[in-house]
Amino acid sequence: MLVSQTLDIVTTAAILYVVAAGLLIVFGVMKIINFAHGGFLTMGGYSALAVSDLGLNPVLSIPFSFAVGTVAGMAVERLVVRPLYSRPLDAILATWGLGIIIGQVITLIYDRGVHFVQSPISGAVLVLGEEYSKYRLVMVAVAIAFGGALALILHGTRLGLVTRAVIMNEDLARGLGIDSGLVRFVTFSLGSGLACLAGALITPLSSVDPSLGISWLVNVFMLVLVSGVSLFSLGVAAIVLGGAQVLISSYANPVYGSMAIVILAALLLRVRPRGFASE
Amino acid sequence: MTKRFVFVACALLSSVASGSLFPAAADEPIKIGIPIGLSGANSVVAPSVVQSAELAVQEINAAGGVLGRKLTLDVADDQSGAAGAQKAYDNLIFQKKVDALITMETSAARNAGLPIVARGKTPFIYTSQYEGHSCSPYMYVDAWVPDQQVAPVVDLFFDQKKAKTFFLIGSDYAYGRGMLGFSKAYIEKKGGKVVGEEYNPMDASDWTAIISKVRAANPDALILSTAGGAPNVTLTKQYKAAGITAMVGNLGVDEGTAKSMGTDAEGVYISASYVSSLDTPDNKKFVGALKEKFGDKLLTPNDLSVPEYEAIYLYKEAIEMAKSTDEAPVLKALGEVSFQGPRGLIKMDKEHHAALTMYLGQVQGDGSVKVLSSFADVPPGEQCPKLK
Repeated sequence: MLVSQTLDIVTTAAILYVVAAGLLIVFGVMKIINFAHGGFLTMGGYSALAVSDLGLNPVLSIPFSFAVGTVAGMAVERLVVRPLYSRPLDAILATWGLGIIIGQVITLIYDRGVHFVQSPISGAVLVLGEEYSKYRLVMVAVAIAFGGALALILHGTRLGLVTRAVIMNEDLARGLGIDSGLVRFVTFSLGSGLACLAGALITPLSSVDPSLGISWLVNVFMLVLVSGVSLFSLGVAAIVLGGAQVLISSYANPVYGSMAIVILAALLLRVRPRGFASE
Repeated sequence: MTKRFVFVACALLSSVASGSLFPAAADEPIKIGIPIGLSGANSVVAPSVVQSAELAVQEINAAGGVLGRKLTLDVADDQSGAAGAQKAYDNLIFQKKVDALITMETSAARNAGLPIVARGKTPFIYTSQYEGHSCSPYMYVDAWVPDQQVAPVVDLFFDQKKAKTFFLIGSDYAYGRGMLGFSKAYIEKKGGKVVGEEYNPMDASDWTAIISKVRAANPDALILSTAGGAPNVTLTKQYKAAGITAMVGNLGVDEGTAKSMGTDAEGVYISASYVSSLDTPDNKKFVGALKEKFGDKLLTPNDLSVPEYEAIYLYKEAIEMAKSTDEAPVLKALGEVSFQGPRGLIKMDKEHHAALTMYLGQVQGDGSVKVLSSFADVPPGEQCPKLK
């Protein structure tokens, strides 16, 4: 029980991390919560479905969903988000509406039915004497790769440097000649790409239907709020709050467990407004 | 002049009182209302239900209608929930003035609609399987209740497969809890042991903690009763990926969903009053007529759409027996008429419910459902002792 519970916590945190990463970087740069994140997750699920319908290797859904999300993100940033830069509240509303539109367009193309994507990895593997789902373990590696790649971009590239400058003080960065509009464009596209990729990555664990992303949106929204803009504190938040969800589900019941992240995050923000962020 | 006026007024008043001021003309259609979840949770299945209603109406009208009058349908979206149902029922009964309601609904929508049905005194045939014990003098049910559905699966596991321990998993709503509550009582009555009973919210997609509990309890069999569609698929995928090998009886999966799950659903046992592969002349005729009417737009007929088709025929029979569409004689007749449909002979004479032939099936590797055995005329048990 102890082994499987530890694995449950680690894998749940990993999945939350993967799903939340795209939302976090958009929030960091643009200071808006992208409510279309749920729509992009759904889009990713359907990208995986399209790959599987064409009979291609399921691994191809990784680059394909990332490309779909990035291109969609570029269009959305240019047409919807950019005109609303000076009105952040309206921008949040616009992304909310956009999420609904994405869901409806998908419904028009694919109907409301539940679809099913073949998993590239299936079955269980023996870990310390416990049978455990292989795919959930793979998600831990994926989460580490997500975090590592994003950290590398932010701290090891020129793009990362200017992005961090925009995150810290956008006006000052602009004063130094940094094209903050371009940084926003790139970040939003990358965040959308990551959201879509995450949507494709969770399909082996869930069904593909028009509300695929909605069930994740509230939880990852709370996670991002308590982690500030740090990739590291997002990891901490995912482990602590995801762990609380698993433990409450096991020892109380799953109905309470499903509310754990939202309630605990709200309480945490009340006593410590900066959440898990270090400064 | 005054005398004549009084006479005319009296005649008018008396005719209003007896409801015959505007007697239904022979060519005025009989209106059937279908409040149904075209959006929301039921939106996956609702279009197939509307298709079978359209087929029934077309067939009846082609054969001369009912008492020389045509049938027409009035479909209203109730968004699968209570708030939408209140609007839809109110609109159909008081504005559109339908003669009867014949539909499948979520339990929440049905419960919200019933008081409106009672206020409008409108005959209502409920065509959806449900958790049982919903009683109204205006409502008849031609689909199954837990008493009819649970026994075939549990009996198979307990008697033939020698399962002793059961773990129950469901979605947290009236239907899920009702089905599993009945299953638990039934298993314990037989001498089996329920080693776990867990519920997840209806829209939850993560079953991790529950699956860990199943692994720890190591039961011989799982009984699942989740909401249709997504929760069903996510739970099946996740227990399969976790390497759980217990036998599985799924009380909430329909044939279409089982098909889309492919190999992950292989081996799962289901229990239903209808499977599309039924090899009877009535079912073949029904499926053939559907194919001809809808062509490639046809949605697979299922355990929710077939009862709708049969209920419209039962309503026709009841009007013909009552020789009118007035609610009192029609309601009385609904408990007496019968119809030979795709599921066999249907008669709603058991406290407003029907005895049904139930099929025990197993999902095959290609997604089809193989019928293992059938149980003729399973009674619904005591549902509404006050209704005769």
